[in-house]
Amino acid sequence: MHDGNRTDMALISATGLGKHVEGPAGRLDILDDVSLEVNAGETIAITGASGSGKTTLLGLLAGLDLPSHGSVRLDGHALEAMDEEARARLRLKLVGFVFQSFHLLPALTAEENVLLPLELDGTPDAPPRARDALASVGLRERGAHYPYQLSGGEQQRVAIARAFVHRPRILFADEPTGNLDHHSRDTIADLLFALNREHHTTLIVVTHDPAMAARCARVYDLLDGRLQAHAA
Amino acid sequence: MTFRMTGPRHALRTLRREWRLPELRTLIAALLLSVIALGAVGTLAARVQRAVLMSAAELIGGDLGVDAAAPLPTAFVRHAQTLGLHTSKLADFPSVAFAGDRSQLLSVTAGDGAWPLRGKLIVDRNRPAHAPPAGSVYLDHRALVSLQLKVGDHVQVGGMDLAIAGELQQQPGGGDLVALAPRAVMALADAESAGLLGTGSRARHRLLIAGSMSAVDAYRTWAKANLPADARMVTPEEVQQRLSVAFERAGSFLRLAALLAALLAGIAVALSAQRYARRKTDEIALLRALGASSRFAFGSLAWTLAVPAVLAALIGAGIALGFASAAFAYAHDLLPASAQRAPLPLGPAFAAAGVSLAVLAGFALPPLARLKSTPPIAVFRRTAKRTPRRFDLLYALPVLVALGLIALETGSWKIAGVLAACLAGAALFTALLTFAILWLIRRYAVRLNPALRLGVSALTRRRGLSLLQSCAISLGLTALLLLAVVAPALLDTWRSELPSDTPNWFVVNVQTAQRAGVRDALDKLGATRFNDMPVAVGKLVAIDGVDVERVPFRGHDVSQDAAQQLRLSWSRVLPPANRVIAGQWFAPDARDAQVSLDVAWVRRFDLKLGDTLEFLVGNQRIDARLTSIREVDWSRFNVNFFVMLDPAHGEALPHTWIASFYLPPGHAGALAAFSRDNPSLSLIDVDELLDRARQIVGQVTAAARWVLAFSLLAGALVLAAALTMSAAERRHEAALLRTLGARRAQLRMAALCEFGLLGLISGVTALLASAAAGAWLARAVFRIHAFLPPWAPLIISAVIAAVVVAALGLAGTRKVLHTSPLLLLRR
Repeated sequence: MHDGNRTDMALISATGLGKHVEGPAGRLDILDDVSLEVNAGETIAITGASGSGKTTLLGLLAGLDLPSHGSVRLDGHALEAMDEEARARLRLKLVGFVFQSFHLLPALTAEENVLLPLELDGTPDAPPRARDALASVGLRERGAHYPYQLSGGEQQRVAIARAFVHRPRILFADEPTGNLDHHSRDTIADLLFALNREHHTTLIVVTHDPAMAARCARVYDLLDGRLQAHAA
Repeated sequence: MTFRMTGPRHALRTLRREWRLPELRTLIAALLLSVIALGAVGTLAARVQRAVLMSAAELIGGDLGVDAAAPLPTAFVRHAQTLGLHTSKLADFPSVAFAGDRSQLLSVTAGDGAWPLRGKLIVDRNRPAHAPPAGSVYLDHRALVSLQLKVGDHVQVGGMDLAIAGELQQQPGGGDLVALAPRAVMALADAESAGLLGTGSRARHRLLIAGSMSAVDAYRTWAKANLPADARMVTPEEVQQRLSVAFERAGSFLRLAALLAALLAGIAVALSAQRYARRKTDEIALLRALGASSRFAFGSLAWTLAVPAVLAALIGAGIALGFASAAFAYAHDLLPASAQRAPLPLGPAFAAAGVSLAVLAGFALPPLARLKSTPPIAVFRRTAKRTPRRFDLLYALPVLVALGLIALETGSWKIAGVLAACLAGAALFTALLTFAILWLIRRYAVRLNPALRLGVSALTRRRGLSLLQSCAISLGLTALLLLAVVAPALLDTWRSELPSDTPNWFVVNVQTAQRAGVRDALDKLGATRFNDMPVAVGKLVAIDGVDVERVPFRGHDVSQDAAQQLRLSWSRVLPPANRVIAGQWFAPDARDAQVSLDVAWVRRFDLKLGDTLEFLVGNQRIDARLTSIREVDWSRFNVNFFVMLDPAHGEALPHTWIASFYLPPGHAGALAAFSRDNPSLSLIDVDELLDRARQIVGQVTAAARWVLAFSLLAGALVLAAALTMSAAERRHEAALLRTLGARRAQLRMAALCEFGLLGLISGVTALLASAAAGAWLARAVFRIHAFLPPWAPLIISAVIAAVVVAALGLAGTRKVLHTSPLLLLRR
């Protein structure tokens, strides 16, 4: 679902996205003519069966990969016109990520993991900001711990702290609660929506969790490679 | 406070935990071993080489000499003095001495008061001396006997009346095997004032210098640039050809051993880097997703390796120096006194560090460089990892590094070629064998017992990895067998070439009429291995009808050599330690004169089979066609000649005989009596030279054992690295199979089958490749022609190696079998 009136101010604008891969059985269309516009501060959930292409879509919107056809504009920048290095710089300024399997660097402590985006960007006062971010996810005391010393829920909280520490305008979350128990799921969901509220961060979540999807303003279903607005 | 995250900073942070990773540790340990092995051997070799040169300096009387037909310009002395070097001048010339109505041609050395600067001039009974003061002379035993004089008498040399101040026993440079005239030593000032050195005289002038290594080196460079046309440098290096042949071989053995250790380390590095790269893929993908540039991602990776690598290389260089010093101290007593002060060279250890870092870079770069192009989307999908073909070329890098390393260490493209060809052959053979076995498995595995099928299918499932593993293990085992079995066998063969009854005496100047008598007398003394050869003294006068003075040789040195006096001999049969490498040895009834030359001579004078050489012997001229080229093993201490004529034509020339024989120690008195009874003969003792050669062989054998230990460690690292490559997948698979109900015995059987096959492939390859390399090296490099690969120990070692591979692989899976599958799956 898209609305032409919003185009001017859309933070993310995807038009006619398609992605296909060559498999042993010939060409496989993962995404087919997907268009989507997202404004600053919105919350969007993308749901769908396993293998429906949710993560692929997330990767294309975030500029981690390029579509087979169609175009994505991120804050006005046409991603397909940029090379990978330029897209990396754009991600650094604009985007935060939360992954299903956390993706913390095992050789770095919790605090150092959170520091990564700040230091990559050369942000001033990185260490206190990283400590604040950890404190805001309730892990003030665990900064010196390595990932293997933390539980799954704690690791995901560190990942969230890393995702928002540099105040990105967009947060992409790929099944952020997929690997967690009930209690941790609620904590993580609360944290993500709190970020959206407090910092006006745009939140795009790929999820299987109906409760999580229900908290988003808009919900889309991916079916046969096409995006359909979910009946509220 | 602002700081941008830099590659080094990220690397250091990462390292704090990652240095515990087995692949990083293997990588660093491999580097350390490589530096120690290369550095210790390089340092020791350089130091022993210096020591040998220093002892050779005794033989020329100084650290460096400049020879000329006329006295050298005074600048030569002045420059030496400004460099703080000691100098000494001398001249050699023939002169007839008179005493009463007797006369004798003498080979005279006239030296200044400083001569000799190195080595010993010994007169009377073991009294070291310098050149005699003006007005006096030293004569050797033969001169005293032939002139019927004794110490204290007077003799006339060059018209001067000189007092005989002592009997000359030994002088530097007196080891010339066929010195024809008795010797005398007099003062240079006397020779000058008697006009013996003036224009038209046959004197050769020599300036000797001695001092610190660096000053001598500096002087050498300067002198080379300012050398007059008729002058040439005399260096210790060229003096002792036999000693240096022994030494070169010794160095080659050691360098080869160290080199194989370094190559093994390289393989371990390559395997570890491969595994490390796989581990780091997720991290690189994440960093890229977070917005890090590819330069940052790759830079941090490079720094993660570089920081510990440089540290390890420096530590390794330090340890290498320590080892080399200990080894030198251990061998101290074996070296001649003057050589014991050889300084510890620092260069080779740090060169080894540099070389090993190059090996690390060369072997680790290909898998790591691939990571640079990890797409950020791989953070979601591991399958998105691309393997861009543009990095394939990088895999040539280890090969180039290895080749360069071999050439650098051995200093010989020949050894490099032989080794590289054998190792490449081993890799190719392994790849083919593995392919064939995998093909057979795919075809016939269905008929196998299920547990066996499980094992062999593990190999086919990870085909690329299996291939890499079997190649790495095969190369590792090949190098190990080469070192542990083939090299000692080569050393033994070499040592047996210098048996304890190798001729240790030469007697020269034997007239044909004396021949039988001399032999009988020596037999009675207990001499064995008596062997004599005729010798004629002559000159080469023309090549293919062109006067030698007009032949355009390559360089002034060569022209001078061509004009020198030379010794010719002849024999019906090819003498021992000679091998015809081109043409045919003389037919018994040659009508035209034929000549056979040593290959070094052929190369120096640019000759070829069929050329005609004209020699002048006495007043006879002989035109001989070059019909064979020989390779002479100069380390064998037999009587050997560069130039040999066919016997029919040789016998017609005026000649004397030279004989070699072995006389056990403790016969000095009897031999002295023999010498007194035969004053016209010269006896030459080569025991010292022989002893030194034997000591070098002994030292090398001892040192090779040390180097071997390093190489064995490096080999163990390769095995460990190769076997842990697939450990993670294997663990996961085994856990999964256990969850599905597989019994321990089944999994054990599967593992045994998988590693048994790997062991078999690498054992067979290593056996064949190391035997081939050994035989090839023996012939092409060490010139040992009687070498047979030690088959029995090789086969036993190969079987043991194969069993060890299987056992190690099995041991690695043991842990998996005894751990809860759930725990493993969770990891």
